[in-house]
Amino acid sequence: MKYDVVVVGGRIGGSIASLYASKDDADVLMIEKRQEIGTPVQCAEGTTQSIFKILDMKPDKRYINAEIDGATIHAPDGRAIDLAEVSCENFLDGTGYKGYILDRKVFDKHLAIQAAKAGAEIMMKTTVKDLIRKDGRVCGVVAEHLGETMEIKADVVIAADGVESNMARQAGLTNPNKPGNIGSCAQYELFGLDIDPHQLNFYFGREIAPGGYLWMFPKGEDTVNVGLGVRSTKKTAYQYLNQFISRFKGTTPVELNIGGVPLSGPIDKTYTDGLLVVGDAAGHVDPVTGGGIHIAAFCGKTAGQVAAEAVKKENTSESVLKRYDEIWREKFGKNLEISLKYRNAADKLTDKDMNALAEFLEKNKIENLSKISAIKFLGKHPHLLMLIRDLL
Amino acid sequence: MEYQRYNCGNCGACVAVCPQQILKLNENQVTKDPGCDECGNCTIVCPLGAFTWKVGHEV
Ligand SMILES: Cc1cc2nc3c(=O)[nH]c(=O)nc-3n(C[C@H](O)[C@H](O)[C@H](O)COP(=O)(O)OP(=O)(O)OC[C@H]3O[C@@H](n4cnc5c(N)ncnc54)[C@H](O)[C@@H]3O)c2cc1C
Ligand code: SF4
Ligand code: SF4
Repeated sequence: MKYDVVVVGGRIGGSIASLYASKDDADVLMIEKRQEIGTPVQCAEGTTQSIFKILDMKPDKRYINAEIDGATIHAPDGRAIDLAEVSCENFLDGTGYKGYILDRKVFDKHLAIQAAKAGAEIMMKTTVKDLIRKDGRVCGVVAEHLGETMEIKADVVIAADGVESNMARQAGLTNPNKPGNIGSCAQYELFGLDIDPHQLNFYFGREIAPGGYLWMFPKGEDTVNVGLGVRSTKKTAYQYLNQFISRFKGTTPVELNIGGVPLSGPIDKTYTDGLLVVGDAAGHVDPVTGGGIHIAAFCGKTAGQVAAEAVKKENTSESVLKRYDEIWREKFGKNLEISLKYRNAADKLTDKDMNALAEFLEKNKIENLSKISAIKFLGKHPHLLMLIRDLL
Repeated sequence: MEYQRYNCGNCGACVAVCPQQILKLNENQVTKDPGCDECGNCTIVCPLGAFTWKVGHEV
């Protein structure tokens, strides 16, 4: 078997890469090890409005569970801050408070179908075991389907294999991650919780979600994604989740999702001769929020386009594929770098610091923040001042 | 390190942090090749606690 492009992994990153490579006339095979595209869901499904621009698509009710127009942050001491009252331009990718809660089971499959419509072939329940390499370059994959092993040749392999990232490791582009860099997540889709259907809610604190946060994302009339990510804890994410939801009497879960999200920022190099790496596999996730959908979408699209162009040029070596790395870094590189800095600073915040910050925000709606009040506040909290120095 | 298949939710987080690269996530369970150095990374990241220390191990 031989294809122009073989894509490993069939969710956001993989389907979008397949779609755009196929649109540009490449002969594409996408390989997914699960039995169904989009399941199990490993995501809170919140995303930006910008994703539909990236994908040249219109938002559609079929895969949108809720429209979001605001967010509330809950400090460890229970203080709630409505973000609409503080200016926060960068929230949700610069689109302010507007965003969507997707139905990823439907969305991911929809994207795979779009890829198929554009001409991509898809193999399900097929696991890529190894990269095939010749003279140092990647030139295909070894895959296994129902006990049968096959070699599939390709001019370009696009690795969209998620947090496991076996392909990038095999190609020597990355090493195993540190456990402190992986957000360990558990989430219920919870029935019976009455919250504002257009607001996101975030909870912080060592008792709730050490090293991360808890989210409540409304999924429409009946259910809410209530989940959390923690880092380097003795108790499991699942235990923290059960502890939190025990406060909601009369609710019941209808789905349990778990997952690991890479929070270490992007890997140093996302290409090599015959290989591109996209999405979680490449660390394309915001280290503060854990959001990766919109980045995987952009990177998947770019990878598909660059791969197809390389095939046309009959040159799929590093010198051509490098363009992919340049384009995505131009768009997201700086933001991810800053976000990682913020994450490192936030790691040092104690519950006391967070409560103090919340109190400050509450008292001074950010637009009206005078320099004097900020200086006074930092004078009272030297620990925060040091953290801010680290950031600047 | 003990792996309990029935506690596993197939998320792949353990695969990402195993320094020996001996963990593989198949469709519905993790397999572990020989060569574990008992570093404990898999127990730290597993959201469901499917990896646990062997009885008697001091953490
Ligand atoms: C609990 C949780 C909540 C999240 N919430 C949000 C959120 O609200 N908003 C947001 O923007 N982001 C969120 N994220 C992050 C987001 O889900 C990911 O960034 C995004 O799904 C990455 O897409 P991907 O295509 O790169 O990888 P994945 O979605 O992980 O897809 C990888 C695919 O590759 C397949 N695969 C892996 N190895 C192989 C192989 N060897 N052979 C064949 N197939 C293989 C897998 O089965 C899988 O289908 C969350 C993550 C978690 C864990
Ligand atoms: S203890 Fe360490 S080496 Fe052993 S399986 Fe777990 S992560 Fe891998
Ligand atoms: S981290 Fe835990 S739940 Fe996830 S695949 Fe590994 S053992 Fe299974």
